Amino acid sequence: MKVSFQALSRHLDLAGVTPERVAEVLPMLGLEVESVTTFGLAPLPLAVVAEIKSFEKHPKADRLSVCQVDAGEGSLRQIVCGAKNFKAGDRVPVALPGTVMPGGFEIKVSKLRDVDSAGMMCSSEELGLGKGEDGLLILTPRQPAVGTPLNSLYGAPDTVLEISVTPNRGDCLGLRGVARDLAAALGLTLKPLTVKTAAGLAAAPAAADAVKFVRSSSEFCPYYTLRTLKNVKVGPSPAWLRRDLEAAGLRPINNVVDITNWVLLELGQPLHAFDAQKVSEGIEARPAREGEEIVLLDGKKVKLEPGVCVIADARRPLVVAGVMGGADSGVTEATTDVLLEAAWFRPGEIRRVARRLGVSTDSSHRFARDVDPAGVELASRLATDLLVELAGAQVVGLAVAVGQPPRADVTIELPAGYVAAKLGTPVADADVDAAFARLGFTVQPSAAGTSVRVPSFRSDVTRPIDLVEEFIRIHGTDKVPAGRPIAPLPGEEDALTSVFTREVSARLVGAGFTECCHYSLRDAAELERTLGADKAALVAMDNPLTAEQTHLRASLVPGLAGALALNLSVHADPRGLFEVGTVFRPQADGTVREFLSVAFAIVAEPVTRSWKSREAFDAPRAKRLLQDAAALAGVASVRLSFAAATGGLWQAGHAAALVDRGRAAEGACGVLDLRWTRSLGLKSSVIAGEVCFPRTAFAEARKVPRFEAFSSFPPVTKDVAVIVPVGVAAAEVESRVRQGASKAAGKEFALESVNCFDVFTGPGLPEAHRSLAFEIRWRHAARTLTDEETNQALGVVIATLEKGAGWTVRR
Amino acid sequence: MQQQLAQLVAAATQEASAVATRAELEAFKARVVGPNGSLTQVMKGMAALSKEERPVVGKLINEAKKSVEELLAALLVKVENAEIAAALGAPVDPTLPSPDAPAGSLHPLSRTRERILASFRKLGFVVAEGPEVETEWHCFDALNTPADHPARDMQDTLYMPKAFRSADAPRKADEAILLRTHTSSVQVRTMLSRKPPFRIVAPGRCFRRDAVDATHSANFHQVEGLWIDRNVTLADLRGVLDFFVKETFGADAEIRLRPSFFPFTEPSFEMDLRSPNLGRLSDRWLEIMGCGLVDPKVLELCGLDPQEWSGLAFGLGLERIAMLVHGIDDIRHFYNNDTRFLRQFA
Repeated sequence: MKVSFQALSRHLDLAGVTPERVAEVLPMLGLEVESVTTFGLAPLPLAVVAEIKSFEKHPKADRLSVCQVDAGEGSLRQIVCGAKNFKAGDRVPVALPGTVMPGGFEIKVSKLRDVDSAGMMCSSEELGLGKGEDGLLILTPRQPAVGTPLNSLYGAPDTVLEISVTPNRGDCLGLRGVARDLAAALGLTLKPLTVKTAAGLAAAPAAADAVKFVRSSSEFCPYYTLRTLKNVKVGPSPAWLRRDLEAAGLRPINNVVDITNWVLLELGQPLHAFDAQKVSEGIEARPAREGEEIVLLDGKKVKLEPGVCVIADARRPLVVAGVMGGADSGVTEATTDVLLEAAWFRPGEIRRVARRLGVSTDSSHRFARDVDPAGVELASRLATDLLVELAGAQVVGLAVAVGQPPRADVTIELPAGYVAAKLGTPVADADVDAAFARLGFTVQPSAAGTSVRVPSFRSDVTRPIDLVEEFIRIHGTDKVPAGRPIAPLPGEEDALTSVFTREVSARLVGAGFTECCHYSLRDAAELERTLGADKAALVAMDNPLTAEQTHLRASLVPGLAGALALNLSVHADPRGLFEVGTVFRPQADGTVREFLSVAFAIVAEPVTRSWKSREAFDAPRAKRLLQDAAALAGVASVRLSFAAATGGLWQAGHAAALVDRGRAAEGACGVLDLRWTRSLGLKSSVIAGEVCFPRTAFAEARKVPRFEAFSSFPPVTKDVAVIVPVGVAAAEVESRVRQGASKAAGKEFALESVNCFDVFTGPGLPEAHRSLAFEIRWRHAARTLTDEETNQALGVVIATLEKGAGWTVRR
Repeated sequence: MQQQLAQLVAAATQEASAVATRAELEAFKARVVGPNGSLTQVMKGMAALSKEERPVVGKLINEAKKSVEELLAALLVKVENAEIAAALGAPVDPTLPSPDAPAGSLHPLSRTRERILASFRKLGFVVAEGPEVETEWHCFDALNTPADHPARDMQDTLYMPKAFRSADAPRKADEAILLRTHTSSVQVRTMLSRKPPFRIVAPGRCFRRDAVDATHSANFHQVEGLWIDRNVTLADLRGVLDFFVKETFGADAEIRLRPSFFPFTEPSFEMDLRSPNLGRLSDRWLEIMGCGLVDPKVLELCGLDPQEWSGLAFGLGLERIAMLVHGIDDIRHFYNNDTRFLRQFA
């Protein structure tokens, strides 16, 4: 809200208080000051009224004119000017050399395209008077004398503070509320508000009133008043009123509308004026009916949602209550009789309706923040005063009121010592009481402490804790000392997801990867690639802002691939990149689950040349990183199985999908789909990996490992090579070897490891077969194994592979 | 005899110069001290000597033997050196660069997050987390922001469609599912699941329906703090925040609590920071975070008795802190992932 310093001064005596001081005080009351600007003509001692005597086209520039100007100095000045909207004899403002314009620009004697120019003729905007007509500010109609100081044509400049009012402070959406807070903070007294129009409300229209009935049948309008004013002369508002509106950023329209707006700015109470001749019979606040429509002031025709509160006459809805007036019942130049509405509408409903209509008006903004019911009548009377004074209106009687003010002052029982207990520091009761009194609250001792009566304009103060906030606003937060931190609580641990994030990041940083951070919101094409079209639809948002950010991400890999491409395009060597973050994946049961994902990506061919070559990063290394990451999450490698990955992000035949049925970890690693990565501009293939865990996987605390004794006797190692068809997975063969070796060991000794150490295809093997060689290691807990035992054990393994699986063991 | 030994040692010394490999060394050793070696033969001749001659000759033999052993030891060193040189190749140039990539780096947001969490951990705050897709109840209603409360205008929200079902944030009734607009929803989940007293910090990603510019991003990160205990006061709040600010911005930094409004705290404040070490942002008040005492209504909604329990809460923007700490002028750098940016904070 824009607060004019001059307007504020009408409510309290600000002598000796500068606008700068006000701008320092308001934020510490909770009224943030967003900007401080000058409104009106700033002091410009070297700016005067001048007459353009003659002008001709600039010899070197079509758009410029060379003017001979009389600034009342006895001789003419030559000024080059770019405007077009003047004629010889016009009087215009001229800034003489030495003037510092409101924008900070100093006017100097200069040459414009080789022609001397001694000053500047000004537009309205250049003078800081707002956007006027294009070109120079023509003063001719005001007939000022040549040489008159420009400032003498304008009033003293004002300072306008733009303040941002939090949603709880509806009372500060009127100057009176801001003034009240300021007075409390500065220890000043609010000037009384004088209203001439008589108080009092009538229950039903009198014969002189312009309506036959005033009713409310809407639950959203518990309190409604309407006043008839006759013989109103609609016309322009006086200068002071227009100035006040313009300082607040409103456009003057006519005296009646301007008066309602002015009262809104003063008291925060929106008013509405109807042209009585356009109202059929009476006024009723009622729920909109099925199929009703209204053309709003802004020209939009809207279909009314049934039940929405409208202000209607006997025939049709005239206004969407509290939000916006209709186009055909407002005050115009032809209006003679006015119906002045002042009412209270349910805040939540006003907000809902305004949002539904996609509008926010000065009126709906205030009603949605709970205007003061006690201020309804006052605002009506204040507006009436002005209508009488400025538009010659005739008051025919009291305003007609239906319903009751929905809330009144509240009394809060504040227990003794409560404020100090909440602050954590002692405060004198007298200080507390004084702060409340300054805010306009009434304080009285009570049995348990203090009784504080809070006027209805402060709808946000209803509980003892609210009074603590009021006190600290006035008392000053700087008077609360910093308490001493107390000791940590034992047994409290960080969330395991957080521990994992830290540990896995350290692991990847150590492996040379640089962490990235991508947006969670992605486009449809990416999700279709990652999940397929059907599943992608399950992670689409309802109200995305842009076409690039329509879906929740299901994988971190596309972001990383994009980052590799970006870095290469700017000739930065990306090396390896990684990211840790949340991804969203549709589940078999139709829900979407959040996974904590870890992903990395690296271009297979190194970008930077080196004097010593290194083995390129490949899929098996990606697999190891993935297993390490899983281990940090508490998923042991033995629980993970890998199968060929198909489609989506991954290159068929060169990538693996990871499965952990136990805790539902998911993942994949290998080469990214080449067509895709090439389309991103990546020439080399990209190796990537991703493993993700549902948040529930981290729920149980990690077990503390228990020591297991190990043998001090040497192991025995035997090799076995198996010839299998190429379609048989190494994991399947290994599993068979393991099974045989374990069976062979029985209970007597133990299988320690099975390790695939050779994969061979080529001469000596049957067509479409390969040989896989495994090293088996056994060990006895209490003695050295004999040759006989281990040969026998190898025999069992060979039998398992040959007789059990039907493969050939190489001898 | 003496002469014979001297000749033997001289011959061996001459022969030794030709020894270059371990095999040659072994052969040479055999020729001198082996069972039929030249020195061994001389020693065998000792038996034929008289009692009187033995000590004299014995001494001579011992001297010759010592010379030969020294010779052999020197040869062994020479041979081993040759072997090591052959195994290792030419000496390296220690000034050549390592061909391996250096360690990677954490994202500046992660670094900032960890630093902040470490500060609060010293005060006994532990990390809690919650889902990014939330129910409207956890994000708004339970935080004393019912539908059509004007506080909802403070943030524009991204919603999921009606048909969307979250496995992590199931609906309580038929409320909307949305992308959380703040990490304050973790406050709610923590109060519902833990027994007080507790102190938590909740880092996490948040979303607003904001157009991207130098200071706005479609997603951003917050760190939320919550301390629930008996008799938590405003002085405690100031103490915690003062500690955090001095940890993060140095001992010169000062704070001020400026009254403000959040539906879930009462009283509510914006915490401003002023520090002489923030480059062009030095020595002026900067808005850093929202904070306050937990509103009794929120305690009630989350199943805690406000007569018994009280609390303080705060929420800060990770990007904002990282930008101040590192002098970063545009929030979009965090999400562009240009490694020339990312590696500056290693």
